[in-house]
Amino acid sequence: MADVILKDIRKTFGVLDVIKGVDLDIKSGEFVVFVGPSGCGKSTLLRMIAGLEDITSGTLEIGGQVMNDVDPSKRGIAMVFQSYALYPHMTVRENMGFALRFAGQDKAEIARRVDAAAKILELGPLMDRKPKALSGGQRQRVAIGRAIVREPDVFLFDEPLSNLDAELRVHMRVEIARLHKELNATIVYVTHDQVEAMTLADKIVVLRAGIVEQVGAPLDLYDDPANLFVAGFIGSPRMNVFAGRVIGASGTSALVSLDGFADKEIAVPLQGPVPSAGTPIRLGIRPEHFTDAGEDSLSITIDMFEHLGGETFAYGRSTSGETIVVTTRNGRSLSTGHVLKAGFDPTRALLFAEDGKRIR
Amino acid sequence: MTAISTSRAVPASRASRVLPRAATYVALSVAAFVSVFPFIWMMISSTNTSIDIIKGKATFGRAFSNNVANFFAQVDVPLVFWNSAKVAILATLLTIAVSSLAGYGFEMFRSKMRDRIYSLVLLTLMVPFAALMIPLFMMMGKAGLINTHIAILLPTVASAFIIFYFRQATKAFPTELRDAAKVDGLKEWQIFLYIYVPVMRSTYAAAFVIVFMMNWNNYLWPLIVLQSNDTKTITLVVSSLASAYYPDFGVVMIGTILATLPTLLVFFVMQRQFVAGMLGSVK
Ligand SMILES: Nc1ncnc2c1ncn2[C@@H]1O[C@H](COP(=O)(O)OP(=O)(O)OP(=O)(O)O)[C@@H](O)[C@H]1O
Ligand SMILES: [Mg+2]
Repeated sequence: MADVILKDIRKTFGVLDVIKGVDLDIKSGEFVVFVGPSGCGKSTLLRMIAGLEDITSGTLEIGGQVMNDVDPSKRGIAMVFQSYALYPHMTVRENMGFALRFAGQDKAEIARRVDAAAKILELGPLMDRKPKALSGGQRQRVAIGRAIVREPDVFLFDEPLSNLDAELRVHMRVEIARLHKELNATIVYVTHDQVEAMTLADKIVVLRAGIVEQVGAPLDLYDDPANLFVAGFIGSPRMNVFAGRVIGASGTSALVSLDGFADKEIAVPLQGPVPSAGTPIRLGIRPEHFTDAGEDSLSITIDMFEHLGGETFAYGRSTSGETIVVTTRNGRSLSTGHVLKAGFDPTRALLFAEDGKRIR
Repeated sequence: MTAISTSRAVPASRASRVLPRAATYVALSVAAFVSVFPFIWMMISSTNTSIDIIKGKATFGRAFSNNVANFFAQVDVPLVFWNSAKVAILATLLTIAVSSLAGYGFEMFRSKMRDRIYSLVLLTLMVPFAALMIPLFMMMGKAGLINTHIAILLPTVASAFIIFYFRQATKAFPTELRDAAKVDGLKEWQIFLYIYVPVMRSTYAAAFVIVFMMNWNNYLWPLIVLQSNDTKTITLVVSSLASAYYPDFGVVMIGTILATLPTLLVFFVMQRQFVAGMLGSVK
């Protein structure tokens, strides 16, 4: 097992800066998930760790060794691709044993490792089939099996579940979590599925446009985002954000008024100094943090709602046109036009500066 | 416009369904006849005497064995076939090896010059062979290769058309497969040999059929560079029979049939892969 350390890693494609200086410390045995919008450089960063893209500058260490110019096969990594990338002309067994056979392992050892992986992934009856004769989920399991057989220090996954249907995705997600426990492996996993990130990760890395916005445990990112981007990216439905300004201070709390809810004054407790009166701010409240109780409340006229059975998402608008989403557990009686008194606890509200930085 | 809308709106009557189909079949039959006729005529003529052929006799005659005997008497059949086979097979294998590597390279490696060089390669498709003939002949002459089979092989080996064909086919080759192979420890040439070639085998089969036919039937260039009888290929020999002072057309037909057989054989053996290759190797 091995740590993975990235120091000021950069990547340019011609004139395009794709990764703009990433520092990251991945501990041995950790499950790290890269999330971020499409095109932010998740795959590129992962492929740089794998050795499939050159590193423009910075250093990459795996297991204490600088790996910048080491061949992918000698980095102690294995990669699972989005399209599975199984060799179509080989059977499942040949696919799984290929790397070892190629490295000159003896037959008995290859068979032992392939059989062990097949057992973990329940591939037994599929071993002599070609990939063409497998379902998507089975192909995915073979791809993971092929990685396991190599007994790598670090597993790299690039959106491994995005080609599967919803049900299989949940199933495979659980499988991957189980595998992580069983193999005690270091895993770097790229996804843009929030649920995958939240449920699998020990540590989430939120990327935007080639820059790390925040690194932290899933719940830390959820509870304590460093900026508006992370706050909006983690959590579903998205956090509600209201424009407003500071109108004063009361003890350590900032008194805030919102543009879309005139004559509303909210006291948001802060650890640090309160910004001066008049400072424009953004106030964030998660949809699920609205409750019937709560010290403060906003009156929201419902335009639309989505019943999910257990809970309901109610959509409304503030007077200044900001969309508001409220998650409620007793939303069956709602109707459009209904005015909802959405209570909230001001200690759960988050304050952001106009440039998006969190005000703590 | 009206015809279309009525036939859609009203449930099509029997006649309106049968007629267009009948027309299609008639057109197809005519096309089939036009393409098969020379072949049938070749078969029929091979059984007739030269005089009957000139008269235009279109029924089977009794001169077949006589024609065969004459052909074998006039032509050193094993030598001619050996020459043809050697040239066609070697040229085909070399062309496919070189051009598929080039196609793979053009698609897999990014570089600023890539598309410029590629356009240049495609541009050579527009230069007619007639314009290359004389300079090529002079080059071969300087290299002392006139009247050798190497002179036939060399100009055919890098085929812009086959490079184009392989590059197009390679677009369907998943790049993640190449990445997976790199992670598995393969070098570029090993990826090519152990992953690309087997995955693209129907593309190779189709290319083999096309290139083999081109080479087997190649006439003009061999006619120019092959001058002695012991190096000549079947196409040259048959055509020289036909252009003799008193050509025996029965014998010519036997030669034509023999010259056609190998390409037919290659096509029938590889028919399935050929069609698959034309449709794309990667599914
Ligand atoms: N080989 C390349 N040449 C030029 N630009 C590239 C290359 N590969 C990626 N890029 C660019 O780098 C940026 C990051 O790409 P990358 O594939 O890492 O994004 P991603 O975060 O994985 O996105 P997605 O979620 O859509 O997979 C994109 O703008 C992409 O266009
Ligand atoms: Mg990606």
